[in-house]
Amino acid sequence: MKPSSLYVHIPFCSSICAYCDFCKLLYRKEFAFPYVEELLKEVEGKAKGLSFHTIYVGGGTPTCLEDPLFEKVLAFLSPYLERNGEFTIEANPESLSKEKLLIAKRFGVNRISMGLESSSEKRLKEMGRGHTYEEAKKAFALAKEMGFSNLNADLIYGLPDETLEELDKDIDALLALDVPHLSTYSLTVNEGTLFYNKKIKEADDNDAADQYELILKRFREAGYLRYEVSNFARPGFESQHNLTYWHDEEYVGCGLGASGYQDEVHYTNTRNLTKYLKGEYLDSQEEEGEQDRLEYYFLTNLRLAEGFALEEFEKRFGFSFLAKYQKEVDSLIKDGLLLLEQKRVKPTDKGILLLDRILLTLFK
Amino acid sequence: MPFDQKHIRNFSIIAHIDHGKSTLADRILELTGTVEKRQLKEQMLDSMDLERERGITIKLNAVTVSYKAKDGQEYIYNLIDTPGHVDFSYEVSRSLAACEGALLVVDATQGVQAQTLANVYLAVDNDLMVLPVINKVDLPSARPDYVKKEIEDRIGIDCSDASLVSAKTGLGVPDVLEAIAKDIPAPEGDPKAPLQALIFDSYYDSYRGVVVLIRVKNGSVKVGDKILLMHSKKVYEVTEVGIRTPNEVKTGSLECGEVGYLTATIKDIKDVFPGETITLSETPAKEPLPGYRRINPMVYCGLYPSDSKKYEDLKEALEKLSLNDASLVYQPETSQALGFGFRCGFLGLLHMDVVQERLEREYNLDLILTAPSVIYEIEMTDHSVIKLDNPSKMPEPTKIKEIREPYVSASIMTPSEFVGPIMELCQEKRGIYTDLQYFDDTRQIVKYDLPLSEIIYSFFDRLKSCTKGYASLDYEFASYRKSDLAKMDILLNGEAVDALSSIVYKPQAYNRGIAIVSKLKDIIPRQQFSVPVQAAINGKVVARADIKAVRKDVLAKCYGGDISRKKKLLEAQKRGKKRMKSVGSVEVPQEAFMSVLSIGDDID
Repeated sequence: MKPSSLYVHIPFCSSICAYCDFCKLLYRKEFAFPYVEELLKEVEGKAKGLSFHTIYVGGGTPTCLEDPLFEKVLAFLSPYLERNGEFTIEANPESLSKEKLLIAKRFGVNRISMGLESSSEKRLKEMGRGHTYEEAKKAFALAKEMGFSNLNADLIYGLPDETLEELDKDIDALLALDVPHLSTYSLTVNEGTLFYNKKIKEADDNDAADQYELILKRFREAGYLRYEVSNFARPGFESQHNLTYWHDEEYVGCGLGASGYQDEVHYTNTRNLTKYLKGEYLDSQEEEGEQDRLEYYFLTNLRLAEGFALEEFEKRFGFSFLAKYQKEVDSLIKDGLLLLEQKRVKPTDKGILLLDRILLTLFK
Repeated sequence: MPFDQKHIRNFSIIAHIDHGKSTLADRILELTGTVEKRQLKEQMLDSMDLERERGITIKLNAVTVSYKAKDGQEYIYNLIDTPGHVDFSYEVSRSLAACEGALLVVDATQGVQAQTLANVYLAVDNDLMVLPVINKVDLPSARPDYVKKEIEDRIGIDCSDASLVSAKTGLGVPDVLEAIAKDIPAPEGDPKAPLQALIFDSYYDSYRGVVVLIRVKNGSVKVGDKILLMHSKKVYEVTEVGIRTPNEVKTGSLECGEVGYLTATIKDIKDVFPGETITLSETPAKEPLPGYRRINPMVYCGLYPSDSKKYEDLKEALEKLSLNDASLVYQPETSQALGFGFRCGFLGLLHMDVVQERLEREYNLDLILTAPSVIYEIEMTDHSVIKLDNPSKMPEPTKIKEIREPYVSASIMTPSEFVGPIMELCQEKRGIYTDLQYFDDTRQIVKYDLPLSEIIYSFFDRLKSCTKGYASLDYEFASYRKSDLAKMDILLNGEAVDALSSIVYKPQAYNRGIAIVSKLKDIIPRQQFSVPVQAAINGKVVARADIKAVRKDVLAKCYGGDISRKKKLLEAQKRGKKRMKSVGSVEVPQEAFMSVLSIGDDID
């Protein structure tokens, strides 16, 4: 099957956040130009003859590119988008100018995802963010004013010593933005980040679970549905692009450190800029057998509240899910982690938080 | 090689651990041209990887070399290496029984140590000629004259002709080679008498069956001979005989006084045990040679395959290993928690460690060991006495009159300044003071009777740390003594886990219980539900810790490249999970079963 999604990575940022472990580089003009040249070359090669239902320009911070370069990227990508397709860019509040929004609009961008992360000045500073809550609020308002209605805001919880009261305030602030899509991530501390070097600890899972439950409750009351572990949307505003990942469907990935999934192979690009600029994109790819394909399928689809349809599974793998996994499914149902409902396999509210447990049972 | 009994010398090397026994053996191989220098691996006779890695000798090993002495005669030297650790004194006694002489290697910087004494006494008991060799004389801190005097004073061996050597550089080693020819007696024995050959070691070879190492005491043996194993009464036909140089060289026969190997298509390894005597079936000897002093295992533990399907593999591995390691004993047992396995007896903890590593490496097994236990004597109210090697099999307390535990007599040699800390340690470990002697101007020997169970829990490490490594320990079984002991059960999620039971000294039970449950709480991964861990004595809970339930394990963000990374992490976890045992509904990692061992010192 031809991939119907495209991910494009812009690794540059004007400042580096303390928790971020994505592939990112401090913005430098002399790197940005050759990078975009090479990136578009890579897209041209990989996307030849394809058109996409979704395009996602992520980072890094795509909006930290100077306007002409930003325009060049979007102008190049735009023709690959199918009619009624979803075209998302990631942005930071401080670099989402009116000019950027105009360019985005002109080339068919119809969804913007922006990091709010916290409403507290102290926390934003601690995380190394380059904006205040007020600035973020203004950026969302500006985007709306310019006609963008499909907006996402990110929030990070589980910060060092964060209390439920503190989180509750963040939730108020997030809901006040009145955007149709919200993502919330508990802080993970990865090697190579400032937080890691400062030996900051992730929240204990018990506290993180309490915080998650508060988020779930408040968002549900406000009319958002949790459709994936960390993602909430008003009906009809689910991220089509991200659903590609969670449906375990193929997609093209371009750019420094980007991952892709084509012809049943997962691949990852190099994080080395010099190599990338020489056109040596690929860093690694996997040999995959049926067991791997099954594992990928569960790992992604069970993150979704709606799980997967038994029929879908059988169509894809050529055998019945229940025939192979009856014993495991029975024990997971007994433990209250999994549900069989309307011929679909879904995680329960409890199961979605203990997904690793479900997966380890199914990865037999 | 021309045979002349007068020109054979059978000897072993005895030494305290690290005094340079294996290095001297290497040098002898090199100087006799047996092994060329470029082929010489460090510690040639330590053939197991494990021995070379740890720098210790575990298995004895025999090698034949030829040496042309200054008198112009060609000699055959059979060198039998011996282990130096206290756990392996049984192996030492076996190799000594095949020799007429021994080189006593003493480190010129450290002098006589507790283990040196023990091994020398073994050699003297066996009527061996002991040649003192003072090693490491090239080191600046060497005190050869002092050490010579010490050997004369303490052991009573004349040191006027002692060889002063550096096994490392080769200095003085030619003198040792000469002294062997000159001073060690040739083997006695009657070449015309009926064959009597002593089996002192054996190992299994998948093509040839059992290979036995023998010392021919009387008569001779050759290919084609029908041999009789005098104890097991089995008859075999000899298919191969030879010597080890250290590679095997077929010779067709072994004559009176010689040391070598023999195969006879012996497939059933149970037919052969060290100490057995071989004779010829048509003209048998009147009686077998005196057997070895058999040393009984001191420490027992349960040995289980992590994967219960591997039980048969483990059984086969133990059969083969015990052939090569006479001091290992085992019998099948069943645990509710761990399934089918074996209760195995060992000479000590190092021996246990070595057996575990050999089973895992050489037989590719994944094992779970339960905490080691000594053998308790339990006198029942009806006056019958039970020997208990598995704590979980402890009878009902109401039927027990008294429990006795094994005590050892321990001699600790130490520089005088550490006598205080050592006595404190021994008191803490329930020791009973017996004696304190001056060994020389600066050193003393502290003697205590100690419960063996206290020695196996980290005593040696504690001793080393409180004496900066200067003290040396030797011990031997003394007697069983009545003790205030009880079985402590460990309950996971309310169910007693037999494999975690241990026998504890009652006055310390409370502290020990707390230490064990908090250790287990850290080792056992959290489960989906909260799991209480309790320690109980006679049904009464003395300590408790709770393993909290996991509520959230999901990765918050999972896009693009996160997905492949997550899959790898989960696969690693899946592999880890395979190494765990499900006990009831709780997943318990292997190390939990041994954890009881490592907490000995958390007790105040």
